[in-house]
Order: sequence, then structure tokens, then C-alpha cells
Amino acid sequence: MPVVIPPPDPAGLPAPAWLLQILLVFTFILHILAMNLLVGGTTIMAIGLRKGKHSPFHAELAKRLSRALPVVMSFTITLGIAPLLFVQVLYGQAFYTASILMAWPWLSVVALVLLAYYGLYLVQFRPDWLGRWVTPIAWMSALFILLVGLLYTHNATLKLTPEKWAPMYDASPAGLHLNWSEPTLIPRYLHFMVAAFAVAGLGIALLGLLARKRGDSWGDEAVRYGAKWFIGATLVQLGVGLWFLFSLPSNFLQSFIGGNTVNTVVLWAGVLAAVLGLLLVNRSLPGAVLLTVVAITLMSVTRHSLRQMYLQPHIDVNTIPVNPQWGVFIIFAVLLVIGLATVGWMVWQFYQAGEPKQAAASQ
Amino acid sequence: MEYPFWDVPLLGGGMLIGIIAILHVFVAHFAIGSGLFLVLSEIRARRTGDEALLGYLKRHSTFFILVALVFGAISGVGIWWAIGLVHPSATSALIHIFVWAWAIEWVFFIVELLAAFIYYYGWNRLDPRTHIRVGWIYLAGAWLSLFMINGILTFMLTPGKWVETRSIVDAFFNPSMLPSLVVRTAVAVALAGLYALITASAEADESLRERVVKYASKWVLVGMTVIPIGGIWYISRIPDQAREISMGGAPVVTLFAAASVVFSAFVFLATLAGPFLFPRRFHVTFAFVIVALGLVTTGVTEWVREAVRKPYIIYDYMYSNAVRTEDVQNVWERGVLASAKWSLLDEQDKQDLLRMGEKVFRFHCQSCHTVNGFNGIKFAVKGWKKDFIDMQLQNLDQLKGYMPPFLGTEEERKALTEWLYSLNNPVEVQQAASR
Ligand code: HEM
Repeated sequence: MPVVIPPPDPAGLPAPAWLLQILLVFTFILHILAMNLLVGGTTIMAIGLRKGKHSPFHAELAKRLSRALPVVMSFTITLGIAPLLFVQVLYGQAFYTASILMAWPWLSVVALVLLAYYGLYLVQFRPDWLGRWVTPIAWMSALFILLVGLLYTHNATLKLTPEKWAPMYDASPAGLHLNWSEPTLIPRYLHFMVAAFAVAGLGIALLGLLARKRGDSWGDEAVRYGAKWFIGATLVQLGVGLWFLFSLPSNFLQSFIGGNTVNTVVLWAGVLAAVLGLLLVNRSLPGAVLLTVVAITLMSVTRHSLRQMYLQPHIDVNTIPVNPQWGVFIIFAVLLVIGLATVGWMVWQFYQAGEPKQAAASQ
Repeated sequence: MEYPFWDVPLLGGGMLIGIIAILHVFVAHFAIGSGLFLVLSEIRARRTGDEALLGYLKRHSTFFILVALVFGAISGVGIWWAIGLVHPSATSALIHIFVWAWAIEWVFFIVELLAAFIYYYGWNRLDPRTHIRVGWIYLAGAWLSLFMINGILTFMLTPGKWVETRSIVDAFFNPSMLPSLVVRTAVAVALAGLYALITASAEADESLRERVVKYASKWVLVGMTVIPIGGIWYISRIPDQAREISMGGAPVVTLFAAASVVFSAFVFLATLAGPFLFPRRFHVTFAFVIVALGLVTTGVTEWVREAVRKPYIIYDYMYSNAVRTEDVQNVWERGVLASAKWSLLDEQDKQDLLRMGEKVFRFHCQSCHTVNGFNGIKFAVKGWKKDFIDMQLQNLDQLKGYMPPFLGTEEERKALTEWLYSLNNPVEVQQAASR
């Protein structure tokens, strides 16, 4: 069966490919950071709700997480929209095709996100009304979110393997395929999800640090508990990461272990940053956070290089004609600055105003 | 043409988009209008020291967050998901033509979202002046998002000068952009009032309930008065053929267009006769009835707006079946199946007319028709003889102005005819095969 690749859009690229790639990777990093807090946070909240029956610390943790998570969810989605735009601009040929093959599961992402989101709000706003259903609802949200991540990895890996598309479509045009046959699927998925628990652990530790600064003794335990998640998950990650690396086709693997200098340096510098973060977390939390962000950045660049290698024989974004629209791009850049400044002003006002003067509107 | 076609049984992809889109439109306009509703009402409440009204607005804003920010935002993402699956080529065109417009929309969306959260969590935290300012910022972000999306959506029906210039400015500031913006803004105002009727009618305090019900009903009436004015302006700006389709050219579309007018009138009259004149007697059930009428109005109107664009998905640029107008000649010479690589045409297909016909149908017709469900082709060709089917196919665009031309080769047309005929005459076909 032939490899069928849709042609690039005749409109061409609206900016040079390098700029779009930078925007894609950069906004992807933002999305993935929020996603990590969401995945890990929701699961840890569900665990906390159960443990909270006997431990005031966990009850308090679950409560604080329940207040933050709907906003984190909103960020995950909103920060996902930007890479969704750029991925369609650059790799639409692969993105639409892979998505159509798994159309129904792919569409179910929307429903799963919606239900998970409402679950989070229920846990936040109506814990008393839910009664003993609080924990199951929290678990439902957590599982749906974990499932969304899995569907993403199905989609992301299917995008990379055009050889599979035509046989799949020939077997059925109903959009019910998944990419289970992909050897990297499970390690890749676990790689993302384990990272989520590490990052969420850091998030909890940061919450603890802020609480401690306000003289709230809950903070001490939160810092310790969060760091424990971070350390545990990162140790597991050393194994999972290697598993993922060695599940790659051997020519790609080679490029990351010396075959290609840039790829090798970026990947292993990322690993190094994570390990340093591990060593530092109990001494300097902000330092560990910084190193983790560096690690995630380098890993995201690695993920992008891997995509380029996979698609190289079929799709090369550097050969698509460019019809730059600089005028509108500049308007976008200016509005982005104004928008971020506005957001900054609002957030600043909010924090400056301090804790609510009466019971929060939500209670 | 260029992408695999996703086969959605019975419903059809278009209907799937429609369902998600209608729900989204119904919530998203509410989200925008509510910005104005909340801010203006808050200013009024603060100025008059009306604590009761302020209390209502706080409760209303919880409802607002849960409906607008959650369902509104996610159903919006849902449309994007669905159009990419059902109309990948057209989605790709919209993405590529408007990349930076989408990016700008995203900036406004972030501002809108953050402002909504801070407005909501800031009720008892921010001082009144700052709180109201955040409300204005929310409104600005929300309305500017609409401004962006509206330019892109109207482009699909009236690409205007873009067809020649290929300039994004021409594409965005297209002929129907402004009138559509007026209509949508008015819809937002009306829907803000409509949803407020629900929360208002659920208030326990009787005098407050009466006041807010009356107040909210005015929003509906004002919005509903402006909609037809903008609507007439809008209709004057759309292509002649689109107008004709909605006014007799295609009976079903005309019927829906009429339904849109009738249901709008129902919403107006029900609001006038109910909450406006008799706010004291207003009940939450009645509120839901008016909201249901509003949803039906939105549904039929959106449906008409989509239907009048036929035979195009992007006017004068791409037909509904993803053939670009500039490629017509090319496809016509090479045939449908050779042009649609995803038909994966093999030797077996070439020898079996029915298999071939089915593939021609999938890649050339199925973007609008299902086999035996919504707009099902099986029912459309019922009772037709082969000659008649063939004649119809040869003159598709002439006979039915809302359909694109049939671009298949002679062989493909024959195959499609056989397949279409077999839908209602399976036995005879079998006999024919054995002969
Ligand atoms: C709420 C739950 C979500 C979770 C758990 C999640 C998780 C993930 C994961 C694990 C990946 C990486 C997949 C891989 O490379 O194997 C990913 C990528 C991505 N996500 Fe999300 N996601 C969520 C929601 C969203 C939403 C709602 C959007 C869009 C609005 C979105 C946009 C994206 C995009 C565009 C990519 C791929 C970017 C690229 O290919 O470079 N995500 N997501």
C-alpha cells in the first residue's frame, strides 16, 4: 500500500518556518507545565480526599487543591489552543490525517475534558452536597484527565508514522482506530504522566512555601510532602525515560546517544537538569523549580527534533513556501504585550487586595 | 479531496458540527453579553447602594462562570475539533489564511478568561472601582474575541476582494463582516437577558425577583429589536445566490429561514407578555420555555446561515466537497478518484462498478449527504431510473444551484449511477451481476 500524504496547504506559511516552530515549542512548554499541574494535582487531590478522613494535613491539602484546580484546568486548555493553532499551520497534513483516523476517540477528548472540568467544580463548590461521593467524583476527573493524556499520545504518535495511515484507512473509514501497535506509545505516555507527578509535587511544595511565609504551619508539611512526590516521580522517571529512549527506532536512538551532537547534548543536558533538581529540592526549592523548567524546556525541544526526524522523509516544513504576513504579525505581537500587561495588572490588583474581606463568593 | 474522509453514519459530519456549534453559539453569545449585563448592573447597584441586587449579581456570576467559562470555552474548542475532522481542507485554509488573526483572538481570549476569574473571585476582595474595571476588561476581551471570530466566519460566505487580492485585510474586513457583528452583538445582549431570566426567577426574595425579572426582560427586548435591523443589512450583503436559496430557491432552507423569523417573534412576544408585563407571576418554568425558544431560534438561524453557503464551504474558493474552484479543471480531467488520493483506488475497485461508485460517492458527495440518514442519498434517488440518475449527475450544478458540479469521469459517473441505483434496487443488481 502506498504512503499517502496530503499536500501542504496552497496558502503557504504565514511566517518563516523557524518562527512558527519556536512559537509551537514555546507555547507547548506552557501547555505542558499547566497540564502537569492538572494531571498530578487532580490525582493527588483525589488521594488527599481519602487520606484526609484521618489526616488534617491531607484534608487541608485537598481543599486547597480543589480551589486551584479549576483555574489550572482553564489554563491547560487555553495554553493548549496556541500550540493547536501552530501545529495545524506547520503539520496540518499529518495532524488532520491522524486525527481523522482516530476521529471518535479524538472527539471524545472534548467530552472528557468537559466532564472532568465539571467534576472539579463540583468538588470545589459542593463537597457537602456530594457527601461521600466527593472522592469518587475527584477520581472520575483524575481518570478522565489521564485518559485525555493517553489519547493525546495516541494522536501524537500516529501523526509521526505516515506509513500506517493508508492501511488503517483502507481497513475502515469510520474513525475508530487507535495507535496501540505503536511500540513507543506506552513509554511515551508514562514519560509524560510521571513528569506530571513530579511537577505537581513541586507545585504543592511551592504552595507550602507560600503558606509558610504567611506563618501558616501547614506549609512545613506541604513542602515536605510535595518534595516527596517530586523525588519519587523523578526517580521513577529515570527508568521510564530510558525505556522510552530505547523503544525508539534505532536510527533515532543513535542520534540521541552521540549520532547527532546537538540532539545528544540537548537531551542529556535535560536529564542532567532534572537530576540536579532532584539533588537540590531539599535545599532550595526555587532552584529545583528553575532546573525543572529548564529540563522540561530541553525535553520539549528534544520532542520537536524527534518529530522532525520521524517526518523528514515525507514532510519537511522548511520546503513549504512562505507568504509572510508581517503586518498582522506585528499587530499580534503588540496586542500580546498589551494583553499580558493587562493580565499582569489584574493579577497584581488581586494579590494586593489580600484575602477576601468576607466569605468568598463561592461559599 | 486531499484528506481521508471520515464516515459518520446516519448523522453525517455536517450535522455533528452543527450540534456542537449551535450549543456553543448559544452559550458563547451569552458569555459576551453577560459582561455588559454584569458591569452595568453592578454599577447601578453600587450607585444606589442596592445590596439585594448586588447579592443577585454575585449568585448570577457563579452561574455565569459555570456555563460560560466551562461549557462556552470547551464547546468552542469542540467546534475546532469537529471541523478539522469533517472539513480538513477548509479548516486548513481558514487556519492558514488567518493564522495571526487566530493568534490575536487567542490573546483576547486569555484576557477575557483571566478577567472573568478575577471578577468572580474578586467580588469580596477587590474594591468596587477595581472590580468594575476588571468587569469592563472582561467585556472588552470577550467582545474583541467575537470581533475576531466574526471576521473569519463571515469570510466563508463573503470573501469579497480576497478572492483576487489574497490579502488578509480584505479577507477579514469582508462585505458582511460589519452587519454580522451588529447582529451578533445584539444576540449577545438578548441572550444575556435570557439567561438572567433563569437565575432571576430562581431568587427567593419576591420583590428582588420581580425587579430583576423585569430588568432582564428589557435586555431581551432591546436585543431582539436590534437583531432584525442588523439582519436586513446582513442579508443585503450576502451573495445573490445565497439570498435566493433562502427565499424560495431551496424549499427546506426557505422553510428554516421562515422558522427563524417566526421563532424570533415568539421569543420577543413571550418575553413581552411574560416577564416584561407580569414580572411578579414569572416562574422558572416559563424562563426555561423562553430559553428553549431561544435555542431553537439560534439553531435554525445558524442552520440557514450554513445552508445558504452551498455549494461552497468557502465562497468562490472551495466547494463543500473540498474541491477548490481553481482545481475544477484539473479534477475534471483526471477524475475524482485519481484526484482523491485517499480513495486508495485498487485493481479490485476498478473491476467492480459498485465499489467504485461507492468511493466516488464518499469523496465527492458524502461531505453533505449520508447514505441513509440525514440528507440521505438513498431517499433522494428513490424511484429514479438509471437514465434519470445519469442525467441528474451530468447536470448537477445546473439542476440544483446549491450543489457543486459533478467532476467524475464518464466511467466514474457510470459507477456512481450503478451504486446509487443499487441502494433502492439491490435484488435487480444482483440479478444483473449474475447474468
Ligand atoms: C485537559 C487535559 C489535557 C491533557 C492531560 C493534555 C495532555 C497532553 C499531552 C500528554 C501531550 C503530549 C502528547 C505526546 O507528545 O505524546 C499534549 C500535547 C498537546 N496538547 Fe494537550 N492535554 C490536555 C488538553 C489539551 C487541550 C484542551 C488542548 C487544546 C485546546 C491541548 C493541546 C495540545 C496540543 C496542540 C498538543 C501537541 C503539540 C505538539 O504536537 O507539538 N491539550 N497534551
